[in-house]
Amino acid sequence: MTGLFTADIENRGLILDPRTKLSVMITLVIFALGGTGSEIKTVRYAVIALSVLPIILLLTSQQYKKALFFGIIYVTLKSAEIFLVPTLTGAALSVIGLCCLIFVRLMPGLIMGAYTLSSTTVSEFIASMHRMHIPQQITIPMSVMFRFFPTVLEEFSAINTAMKMRDIRLGGKHAGKLFEYRLIPLMVCSVNIGSELSAAALTRGLGTSTRRTNICRIGFHIQDVVILLSVFIVYILWVLGKVGLVI
Amino acid sequence: MSTIAAEIKNVRFRYQNGEENVLNDVDLTISTGECVLLCGGSGCGKTTVTRLLNGLIPHYYEGELCGKTTVFGKSIGDTPIEDIAGTVGSVFQNPRSQFFCVDTTTEIAFGCENMGLPECEIHKRVKKAVAQMQINDLLDRSIFKLSGGEKQKIACAGAAAMQPEIFVLDEPTSNLDVDSIEQLKNILRLWKNSGKTIVIAEHRLEWLSSLCDRVIFMENGQIIKEYDGNTFFSLDTKCLNQMGLRTCKSQKNYFDDKPGIHAVKKFRSDSNISLHDFNYSYGKHSALKISSLGLPKNSVTAVTGHNGAGKSTFVKCLCGLQRGFKGKVIIDGISYNSGKMRKISYMVMQDVNHQLFAETVLEEVMLGADESDEENALVILKRLGIEQYKNRHPMSLSGGQKQRVAIASALLAKKSLLVFDEPTSGLDFTGMESTAELLSSISDECTVLVVTHDSELIERCCTHILHIENGKIS
Repeated sequence: MTGLFTADIENRGLILDPRTKLSVMITLVIFALGGTGSEIKTVRYAVIALSVLPIILLLTSQQYKKALFFGIIYVTLKSAEIFLVPTLTGAALSVIGLCCLIFVRLMPGLIMGAYTLSSTTVSEFIASMHRMHIPQQITIPMSVMFRFFPTVLEEFSAINTAMKMRDIRLGGKHAGKLFEYRLIPLMVCSVNIGSELSAAALTRGLGTSTRRTNICRIGFHIQDVVILLSVFIVYILWVLGKVGLVI
Repeated sequence: MSTIAAEIKNVRFRYQNGEENVLNDVDLTISTGECVLLCGGSGCGKTTVTRLLNGLIPHYYEGELCGKTTVFGKSIGDTPIEDIAGTVGSVFQNPRSQFFCVDTTTEIAFGCENMGLPECEIHKRVKKAVAQMQINDLLDRSIFKLSGGEKQKIACAGAAAMQPEIFVLDEPTSNLDVDSIEQLKNILRLWKNSGKTIVIAEHRLEWLSSLCDRVIFMENGQIIKEYDGNTFFSLDTKCLNQMGLRTCKSQKNYFDDKPGIHAVKKFRSDSNISLHDFNYSYGKHSALKISSLGLPKNSVTAVTGHNGAGKSTFVKCLCGLQRGFKGKVIIDGISYNSGKMRKISYMVMQDVNHQLFAETVLEEVMLGADESDEENALVILKRLGIEQYKNRHPMSLSGGQKQRVAIASALLAKKSLLVFDEPTSGLDFTGMESTAELLSSISDECTVLVVTHDSELIERCCTHILHIENGKIS
């Protein structure tokens, strides 16, 4: 579970600069989710190629199961949208058409998000925010969140185990209170951990007025250049399409 | 006397929501290079003293504070806590909640980064701290994959990399096994030899015997007596226990036995609970490999072994909590698979907060039971001495009381196998003793297993020891 939010730094495959990931993310939101330039045929194809990129990235970071899972769903939905939807009529068209429309648009961004979260370490994140001149008041709370999620998930799984032992489950006697029973211990534990975590961070000087340094080395490498170029191509195609040079 | 490292003068303190003063006129002077142990029962104020020194009081924990604390000439009250960080290095009790980063290298560097040191200086310091503590193999690892002992070493390295003058440790060993404690001791000795001042608040005393120059005994927020190291550590067990302290030496070393199950007390059992095919692996890594084992029914068995030896995997399998586990358990001729084991077993977790769900103690205990069992529930609550709290919220009770609520619910559900995960971690002598009595008393109704590193607990209540090493018992 914790793998969803933290990078497995012992085993991470190809490393990209966080800023590269961010630019892919933004481009996916503009083109795949926002549907910019969908009237231009070349751009449409380029966006499909770009939507597959997050799945390839998952592969490069050795997250094969996730990549396969998302890959199958995306290919199924996209081909349904292209081949099945035009042949449908009536209620089937509105239901299936709408589903395809929503998921095909949302998924690339979501997969990219999953990849970004699972492949970026906290220090890389802070370092890149720092390079982009984002103020500390924003980066520190965000980095705390990075640290806090996996902890809450750990707590959550311990609570689940405890509930199993008490036989509190769906279909059991207390099914209606499943949510409440989970929430109370989770809140108590999270508050405890949160306050201990802040105390520990303070005794180690987080929040001094001196400018914080960072030992994490980030920078653009050949893989970043390749990906940034392919992202750039989409924009170029779109501009060319707008001017009428490509269709 | 050499120069003064820290000085606490006439300090009185009450936490914001507290009713009583936790510290009453505490006066303490610590000279440089000294190693001072603060000891006393739970709630005696020793943790509060460590918080005075590292500035968490008054900067983080608010309350009424009178008196003055100075560390190396800096008045703690007037210095922002971030600026104290370079002078005082802290190590806390709970390894789960003192890490800010998710990988070890940046965690060690974290404090230095905050101080704004140049990059190459940080690398130098991290390297030095790592080399001194010999933890090279722990670099570039994920924090979530480390054992408790390894986490505590990283915490020490993180504090050491900031090169503070004084180290403050608050119960650093409560989750550690004998070997990890030994390694921690070596780290402290290293600091001491390089002239650093060390203040340590601790329940477990034996490992500190050759290390501490001075021992401060506290009770009810006051310093009752000061000893010099040698005098204190030659006090006998009886005397220490009367003071509410744990012993300095255990009677017998329970942890050096060969893997397997051994009887430590006279015990006649009518029948055995037999375990078959207790094999489990995480991916390719085999964590547990026990083909058969007999547990005496109604015994209190201590499960021992090093951190990472497979103890928790073993008890999880036994409670039917490990997914995909194929082994089985035979009790009185009836065979139980994993799913059925879950119905007859119960584990009291180390953090008991995870398993208290309801709004009142009575409701909590009655969760799985029929309405008609209320009388029974009250009888059990009375037996465990928590009847007067039946209408309180379980979360408002003390740690020991919460533990009892969890036990009560297991007894009412007629679970026949109870597992305790480190029930005495962080408990003082009185707490430990009452837990030991409790474990003995519930063993006429069920079979009890205790995962523990606490030799005093074993000595008091366990009838058998199950020693697991590398997931095996032979």
